[in-house]
Amino acid sequence: MQYTKDEEALIWLTLCSGLDFRESERMLSLVPSPHMLFEQFEELVPRAVPQERRAVLQKSNLAQRNTELSNALSRMEKKNYFAVTRVTEDYPEQLAAIDTPPLVLFGAGNRALLKEKIFCIVGSRRTPPQAMKYGEKFAEELSDYFAIVTGLAEGGDLSALQGALKKKRAICVLPCGLNECYPAAHSDFKEKVKKDGLLLSESLDDKTRQYSFYARNRILAGISLGTLILSAGERSGTLITANACLNYGRELFAIPYDLSVPQGRGCNLLIQQGAYLCLGSENILNNFGIFMKEKPTLPELTKEEKEILTTLADGEELHASVIAQRAKIEIFEAFAILAKLEMKQVVVKTGGNCYKIIG
Amino acid sequence: MIAKVHCFALNGLEGVPVEVETDINRGLPSYDMVGLPDAAVKESKERVRSALKNSGFTFPLYKITVNFAPADIRKEGASFDLAVAVSLLKATDQLSGAETDDLVFLGELGLNGELRPVNGLLPIMISAKGAGFTKFIIPADNAKEARFLEGTEIYPAENLTKVCAHLLGFTPIPKLETVGYMIASGNHYAADLQFVKGQPIARRALEISAAGGHNLLMVGPPGTGKTMLARCIPTILPDLTFEEALEITKIHSVAGILGQEGIVTERPFRTPHHTASTVSLCGGGNRVVHPGEISLAHGGVLFLDELPEYKRSSLEALRQPLEDGCISVSRAAGTVTYPSRFILCASMNPCPCGNYGSKKLTCSCSPAEIRRYRKKVSGPLLDRIDLQVEVDNLDYDDIVTERGSEPSSAVKVRVNRARDVQRARFKDTGLNTNAEMGEREIGKFCKLDGECEEILGEAFERLSLSARARARIIKVARTIADLDGKQSIEPKHIYEAVSYRLQERL
Repeated sequence: MQYTKDEEALIWLTLCSGLDFRESERMLSLVPSPHMLFEQFEELVPRAVPQERRAVLQKSNLAQRNTELSNALSRMEKKNYFAVTRVTEDYPEQLAAIDTPPLVLFGAGNRALLKEKIFCIVGSRRTPPQAMKYGEKFAEELSDYFAIVTGLAEGGDLSALQGALKKKRAICVLPCGLNECYPAAHSDFKEKVKKDGLLLSESLDDKTRQYSFYARNRILAGISLGTLILSAGERSGTLITANACLNYGRELFAIPYDLSVPQGRGCNLLIQQGAYLCLGSENILNNFGIFMKEKPTLPELTKEEKEILTTLADGEELHASVIAQRAKIEIFEAFAILAKLEMKQVVVKTGGNCYKIIG
Repeated sequence: MIAKVHCFALNGLEGVPVEVETDINRGLPSYDMVGLPDAAVKESKERVRSALKNSGFTFPLYKITVNFAPADIRKEGASFDLAVAVSLLKATDQLSGAETDDLVFLGELGLNGELRPVNGLLPIMISAKGAGFTKFIIPADNAKEARFLEGTEIYPAENLTKVCAHLLGFTPIPKLETVGYMIASGNHYAADLQFVKGQPIARRALEISAAGGHNLLMVGPPGTGKTMLARCIPTILPDLTFEEALEITKIHSVAGILGQEGIVTERPFRTPHHTASTVSLCGGGNRVVHPGEISLAHGGVLFLDELPEYKRSSLEALRQPLEDGCISVSRAAGTVTYPSRFILCASMNPCPCGNYGSKKLTCSCSPAEIRRYRKKVSGPLLDRIDLQVEVDNLDYDDIVTERGSEPSSAVKVRVNRARDVQRARFKDTGLNTNAEMGEREIGKFCKLDGECEEILGEAFERLSLSARARARIIKVARTIADLDGKQSIEPKHIYEAVSYRLQERL
């Protein structure tokens, strides 16, 4: 892939220079274009880097920088990664508008998704099963109008990712480098995103550190027009994304929870403080002035299935034996029909043999 | 002179004929044993010496050589004592005129001459009968075990004196009356399904498991009755047939755990603790290969409580026997194959603290902890467990449907009916249950119509099933259809079978 001189300079600055984000920013402010930074790096070091770190950095010379750069580029080429820098034409507009936009985004997969309108759906790792179903459903429905950005962690993020992957509209931002996978257990999903969606990260080889999530969440919130919080405990990391979203002046949505559900406390608090209450994907779309073309139709149901559904109709979470009792059929028959309904995505199993309708 | 007496050694579940030869020579008094005896056999020297003396015989002061033929098989255990004593007596003319050529002598001697029971008597006698021996002298305490063997003359004796009196024709020992096998009627187990409250779904899974011989995993918080449910499986399994009972008895006899009954009349229910080693589960031993828990559970249930707590290597070792229904244990001394067709019933908590998924209590485990906990049980093993159900929290106890507190006997009737269907189906194939079907049988007996194929395809995609899981779902669906009394598998059977695969969603 061909990069301009300025792009190359930014890639080098991120991958090889050894400067942290703040130092890089300071140095960039000293020169009219990133390319000049690349050429005069050792001269700029004293003006941007604290005393104790200068010695090593000042030894750098242009020839050395050129080899470092070409090594880095060929490494990216080999893995089929691309870099979108702050000066690249398709660098997301929304992201550029935040106060600390990343210098470079490294990506793998479908680059065209960056030009789409992007919406973020996230949830804590302890998202309850029915909220996961909502996450999957909303992500799938919103995928017709937005690209969906989310993380790779289990729970809420994964549900949104799965929904969006169905329509190949998923963007996933990693807290670690592109070569790493956090959590490692989800490496199969990472591969799937690479194939059907877009994988983004701020680095290539960085391991996950505590602060990486903070940095990643700012990208999630920054790159999107709005954010939906699927679940968040009172002290959940998901709230970082919510705060960032508000700081950047984007729309924040949250789904409401029963008072007794600890995984929903954070969502309820957000709503109390003024986040939009989200009852369905149309709530989100309407907010952006989009009206759904057609109501998704319920799949065809048989008489027995409808009977089972009526017992669940008021949204209560019911045990299979209660459902069987109310529908006046044997428990194992009810079990078979519930499995059928689950496959048709009409009900969800919430654990402990209980079921709930997806409304 | 030389005296020969017949005896049998045990190799796995097979008896191997051994001749005990004794030769008396002039020379310095000595007493040697040759023919690969192990420590317990060599010690018989002293037991025999004392037993002879205390039974009123004289121990000869000659150069004595005892040989066990064939000489290349290792002889272990104390069951040769009686044969050695008798051959010694014969060699020294203390039993002149006694006819011993068609007799098999089995038994351990006490110092006072009493005969003590030996392990593995039944398998030895079955092999001996096959080898043409029909007359046996055995310890009286083993009589109960031996009485089921028809077409034999068995003389149970309390001590060496009585054996000799019998051999010399002074006071013949009455022949042991052989009896036919009786099935103990009624529920003789401590557990019964009628004492289990609620748990309609687990009950159903138990029924399917028993009907088709499927393996079962129960996931649920602590204290919800998983163990109690597992203990009910033997109560709803069909009664043992004589052939099954005999096979199980053979294994239990070799292991030396045969009860007072003399024959196994109940389906075994084995619960090895989770500290069990691979060898104790699968069988093995230093020289002689002993059957492990999975063989002792043959024909019954192997219950692994708290599945993730077992050692990984022990669990992985179960994979092959679960597929094949037998285990071949190889040691330097040789390879022994023990049958191990059992229903694996396992239980586990949903997470380390046990409250994951609970409506009332909050789970205090981190997602990583839960993942680590579940990962202790490998995918391939879970793949082999056809039925995976969640056990309800006790909150649902009050929902007792009519079927809720059904006694085991009522469930057993349905299980028996389903087994009859299977017996008719597998008539010439050597199989017994649906769970034993291979790919060929599935293709033959489990034809699926287009709709069922479609459902399976969808489930396959949604739950990302392995090919093995697919076959197992079909097998469970077959059993559900059998319970339902249907010839062909219908969509609802497939749906129900799919709903018992929790693993893919955990």
